[in-house]
Amino acid sequence: MRRILAQARKELIQIRRDKLALTLALLLPVGLLLLLGTSISLSVTELPIVVQDLDNSSASRSLLDAFRQSITFHVVPWPVTKPPMAAFTANQARAALVIEHGFGRELARGGAGQVQILIDASDSNTAKLIQGYSTQIVAAWNRTAGGAQRLLPVKSHIRLWYNPGRVTKKFYGPGIFVLGLSMFPPLLAALAMSREGEQQTLLQVYVSSIPAHQFLLGKILAFMAIAAAEWSIMMTLLFTFFDLSFAGDPTPFLVASVLYAFCVSSYGTMLGAAIPSQAAAIQAVALGGFLLVFLLSGLIFPVENIPGGLRWLSNFVWGRYYMEIVRDALLEGGGWPAMWFNVVVIGIIGSVFFLLAWRKMRRMQLSI
Amino acid sequence: MTPPASQTDNPVSIHVSELRKSYGAVEAVRGINFEVRQGEIFGLIGPDGAGKTTTFQILAGVMEATSGTATIYNRAARAARQQTGYLTQTFSLYPDLTVAENIRYVGDLRLIPHAEIDERGSRYLKMFDIDRFTDRLAGRLSGGMKQKLALACALVAQPQVLLLDEPTTGVDPVSRREFWDTLAHLALDGLTILVATPYLDEAERCHRVALMYEGTIHQTGTPSELRRSLGAKRLEVHTSALGEAEDALSGHHEGILDVQRFGDRLDVMVPEPVAGQQQVELLLGAAGIPIDNIRVDEPALENTFVAKLRAIGRVVKSPKYPGQHPHRDLMGQVAIGASSLTRHFGAFTAVRDVSVDVKYGEIYGLLGANGAGKTTTIKMLCGLIEPSTGRMELAGERGSLRSRTVRQKLGYMSQKFSLYDDLTVGENLNFFGGVYGLSREEIETKKHWVLEFAGLEGKEAALTASLPGGWKQRVAFGAAIMHEPSVLFLDEPTSGVDPLARRAFWRMINQLADMGTAILVTTHYLEEAEQCNRLGFMVAGSIVAEGTPGGVKRAQTGHLIETVASEPQRAADLLRTEGERWRISLFGDRIHNVTDGDAETSMRETRATLAAAGIAVLEAREIPWSLEDVFISVVEKAKREERLAA
Repeated sequence: MRRILAQARKELIQIRRDKLALTLALLLPVGLLLLLGTSISLSVTELPIVVQDLDNSSASRSLLDAFRQSITFHVVPWPVTKPPMAAFTANQARAALVIEHGFGRELARGGAGQVQILIDASDSNTAKLIQGYSTQIVAAWNRTAGGAQRLLPVKSHIRLWYNPGRVTKKFYGPGIFVLGLSMFPPLLAALAMSREGEQQTLLQVYVSSIPAHQFLLGKILAFMAIAAAEWSIMMTLLFTFFDLSFAGDPTPFLVASVLYAFCVSSYGTMLGAAIPSQAAAIQAVALGGFLLVFLLSGLIFPVENIPGGLRWLSNFVWGRYYMEIVRDALLEGGGWPAMWFNVVVIGIIGSVFFLLAWRKMRRMQLSI
Repeated sequence: MTPPASQTDNPVSIHVSELRKSYGAVEAVRGINFEVRQGEIFGLIGPDGAGKTTTFQILAGVMEATSGTATIYNRAARAARQQTGYLTQTFSLYPDLTVAENIRYVGDLRLIPHAEIDERGSRYLKMFDIDRFTDRLAGRLSGGMKQKLALACALVAQPQVLLLDEPTTGVDPVSRREFWDTLAHLALDGLTILVATPYLDEAERCHRVALMYEGTIHQTGTPSELRRSLGAKRLEVHTSALGEAEDALSGHHEGILDVQRFGDRLDVMVPEPVAGQQQVELLLGAAGIPIDNIRVDEPALENTFVAKLRAIGRVVKSPKYPGQHPHRDLMGQVAIGASSLTRHFGAFTAVRDVSVDVKYGEIYGLLGANGAGKTTTIKMLCGLIEPSTGRMELAGERGSLRSRTVRQKLGYMSQKFSLYDDLTVGENLNFFGGVYGLSREEIETKKHWVLEFAGLEGKEAALTASLPGGWKQRVAFGAAIMHEPSVLFLDEPTSGVDPLARRAFWRMINQLADMGTAILVTTHYLEEAEQCNRLGFMVAGSIVAEGTPGGVKRAQTGHLIETVASEPQRAADLLRTEGERWRISLFGDRIHNVTDGDAETSMRETRATLAAAGIAVLEAREIPWSLEDVFISVVEKAKREERLAA
């Protein structure tokens, strides 16, 4: 135990001495959370749409007003003489609404008026949203101004749960919180470990005959402390700026947080032990800590969206399990019954990282 | 020196037998055997790549041997780690921890009780005179202080065996001498010390040494046994025409074993001094070369090592440099002319009123302890920084020292070679040739020459990173002079290379100088300093002594007395309490004493002092100054004067 604590103390002193690293370790998560937590938003507003009203009747103007009133679209007038596609290529609009000549007259006769909506589908997701919103606007206009009152066989009443205002930052905030914890503690851990190899201080440790597990645990303990500090800072932000609070029993979340700190610190230490070069270790951590957690953990896109060939990978991404736990704790409140499995998996993945690091170091001597 | 008689009965503490280690196809250690007894200082002497570090790592228990045994007090090295203190080449200190924190951490890892860590830590820091710096970060210590701290860290665990892997690399001569004095003390207390070094002057301070080269130990014995084994004498021939004299004596003349050129003399090895001297006089007389004087001395350890390397068939070529020598006609004119250079950094004056003149065709050595201002001076001399006051002339230019034309005339080889590790040797040479704007044919000619000099013919496709240090160093040197610089700056050009390669290096450097190149060498290895035509000693930002190697030795006002006493360590300690510490140093069983007064008086006084303490003086005589003695004496006297002035 004494050696473990001595090791941890040494690591913490070293981090404290490196003022730049310490500042970055504590400020970067805040910056990341504020920046990404608020800027990621997949809803669309104020999308420019060009309009060519070839009819210019009261009915057509009323339909245009409906588009103008929507917060989704921002109507941009477009001369009738120019093809609407020119607006797409000039990047002035994402969609175009063309109201055919005779639209008003046809409606007045009780027939179906024709409008054409052209969508720039190069960004497929936005295109889909535009399609949905414009269909909704036209349908709503049909019901009121169009006057085509037909009996609707099914009427659905939709209520939004857990995040009734559909505030996106409440969903992405916790995700970025997990991303921050997956990146910074392992980065520092990997740097500290590979530096020992690079500066040959590891030889001194080898000579001292400290067993590998004590050496590793000491290091991991220090970086768990760093993770705990980052955790506290980011949680404070989530509770204040992001307006979140515990939705139910927070104990699975708290237990998982300790295990997750162990898991990511072990991950960094393992990479540092395997890669005795600081520059290469940074890249390895960035790949695992950032890319995997960012893309394969359901942070932005639901895991179900990942193509089948790759989806199985997400089962091994530690961030995914913690992400579900954090979102559950802050939004849904499912507690132990919903989350016990995730807590166990985080513990298992963390132990695997630790064992791999131990396997690399167990001989406590130069490998060649 | 001979180990004290008692040592031969001491128990064996390190035993190495048929030890082998291979890295893939490379055999780093090829079946070595040696034994070190308790209380002995045993030196493993050899150039970079000899297998010293591998041997140390196995003995420290941090690496497994391929075969053979290495035991410490009859236990496998790995199991005996608690008894071993290991100083790595880089010292393995944590630069971002303070002195005290470093010691505390090592003590904690070895489970030493806290009270003992504190007690031993402060005792050793006091002993090494660094107890004022307890709270300083290790990264901010000078090389000498780092070395002492690393030693303190190793000693906190009270090891029985100390393994020191090139502990004096990057450490200046003053600190180096103190370090060896400390080692002598520790050995007397029963600590066994195994030390690796590429420097043969340090080997003189070991009880016994083993000459190691390419993974094999070629000879083991006390330094004097090794010297005697050569069965030859060394003639120091002083003449003004060194180059011609070297040519006249080289080749296979009967009765001359070896010729080596230094900065102001030739060393000629002869089997028999009288006949040898006659032969030298005859040969030089026939060539019409005047001789100033000839002095007979014992061979140095280096001569033994060179003979050994030749015996195993090692050859290092120094092919003729294929150049136009555009600066040949400038011979004798000033190439680097500095007058009254001073440089301030804020309130700190790094260099104070330094004047240096280096002529074309001259090799000038700038010596100084760490922090003496050498680096700043060099940067001003090659035009990298501007002096605060003073005038600089470089390669005929006074104003813009950074202009293209001036830079084209300069060459620079740093101690950390400036080659790209991830390029092949050929690509590196092409790159440097291209940077200096050489034509294709020129690059090819020069490349051919560099490869021959480095002994890498046909291996230009080898990755630079894969070359052993000594080879890389020669390629770097070659790359630095591909464009035929008129002024060449060299920073410790031959540290860590084997004696034969060092000779080839200096033959090449002399060749360039003979063709008119001005060469400025910075070093704190006195073996390199001996090779310079003129030397400048820097202390605290000023040049305090200047002259030829022989000149600065003669200029010493004091005398150097060597005393052999019955209890050398006690005698040395006793004499130290009498006068200033630096005046006394212990070389094995011989005490060197620097006295400012009359030699006879000093010897009488020493005899009396020691006799009063019951120590018998077996032998006492005045000996010629070595450059190391000069260096230390000059530095200490300058410091004292500064103190008096303040």
